Amino acid sequence: MKEKFIVAQPWIGLFARLILGGVLFIAGYLKVSAPDKSQMAVRAYEMLPISVANALGLILPFAEVAIGALLVLGALTKYMAALGGFTMIIFIVAISQAWARGLNIDCGCFGGGGAVAPGETKYLQEILRDTGLALLAGYLIRYPVTKFAVDKTTVNKTVNKKTGDVA
Amino acid sequence: MAQAKNPAGGKDNFTRNLVIAVVVGVVLIMLVPTVLSKKTNTSAAIPSSVSVEDGYGMVFNKDVKDVPFIEIYEDFQCPSCQRFETISGAYIEDLINTKQAKVAFHMLSFLGAESQLAANAAGCASDQGKFLQFHKLLYANQPPENSGAWSPSYLTTLSLGLGISDKAYDKCIANNSYKDWVVNVANEGAKRNVNSTPTVFINGKEIDRNKAYNSLAEFMLAVKKA
Repeated sequence: MKEKFIVAQPWIGLFARLILGGVLFIAGYLKVSAPDKSQMAVRAYEMLPISVANALGLILPFAEVAIGALLVLGALTKYMAALGGFTMIIFIVAISQAWARGLNIDCGCFGGGGAVAPGETKYLQEILRDTGLALLAGYLIRYPVTKFAVDKTTVNKTVNKKTGDVA
Repeated sequence: MAQAKNPAGGKDNFTRNLVIAVVVGVVLIMLVPTVLSKKTNTSAAIPSSVSVEDGYGMVFNKDVKDVPFIEIYEDFQCPSCQRFETISGAYIEDLINTKQAKVAFHMLSFLGAESQLAANAAGCASDQGKFLQFHKLLYANQPPENSGAWSPSYLTTLSLGLGISDKAYDKCIANNSYKDWVVNVANEGAKRNVNSTPTVFINGKEIDRNKAYNSLAEFMLAVKKA
């Protein structure tokens, strides 16, 4: 069982990298060309002072694109997974507080965002999705060695150590 | 998890570092123009009847005293804004014409490029004294969001129906002359914490989101109470 996991582990890691990185990249990409909307989405959470929310709304999509692209390519996997996981936890906290306070907003995760009509909120689905992504991030922090990553050195070295059959 | 320093790792890390540099570089190259384009430009050209102190809004009855002050934040491409215009637009126009209210229109552009073009064109129409007519006409011809329908030439042609046939107007639309003003309006809306469209304030207080946006009677009541 343990040996099987050792073989599967870098492949599971590749899967985790592509899902977490892919979602972050697409989510960011859909927002970079609509900064007004992204700022509006962040303001609607009513958590931050308006000027801070506006700055975050401007920068966050670009950060998501960068983290997502580096994860997909497998560069600095462990640290990018940590950043990605951190943003997921922040999103979960933000969505939860909006839900608890009875705000009617769209999470704005993939563009969109801002106030919506009561009854059109999807807080539970949004939290479950982000929880899943946070778990993938956790896996990558624990097992940052993955297939087809540009973090080549660590891949070879680690697999080498554990199985002794990879140069 | 073995991440011990690998003395032979230099060569492989070169590829990784190159990838990191390229990704970060590309993202920064995209980020910088976005941040710069979002800056308020206080020397921007502004259309007639724009009041800088009222958040760069298009203001009617600016100097009429002791009447309610209605501020409307909207986006020409937003379907709810079209609904609000259909329900309460004629009443608001009447309030303006009979000097019973001071009204500020803030044309936001968060829905994308065509909102930006439309807001600019509204500024151009204001210079021709036709803002209200243009406002109504554009909502009556609202296509799906960013479908490519609202091109500069479309907007110019549409305005012929308002009796605007002025070279300066066509140029104003084609050159996107009020681009910076549109950015300023958006920034003021952001500072005002406007998080959805339409958002309407009467004497500084937002009207009831559950009632006054979808009912003329409720909206008239809100104006009367002010």
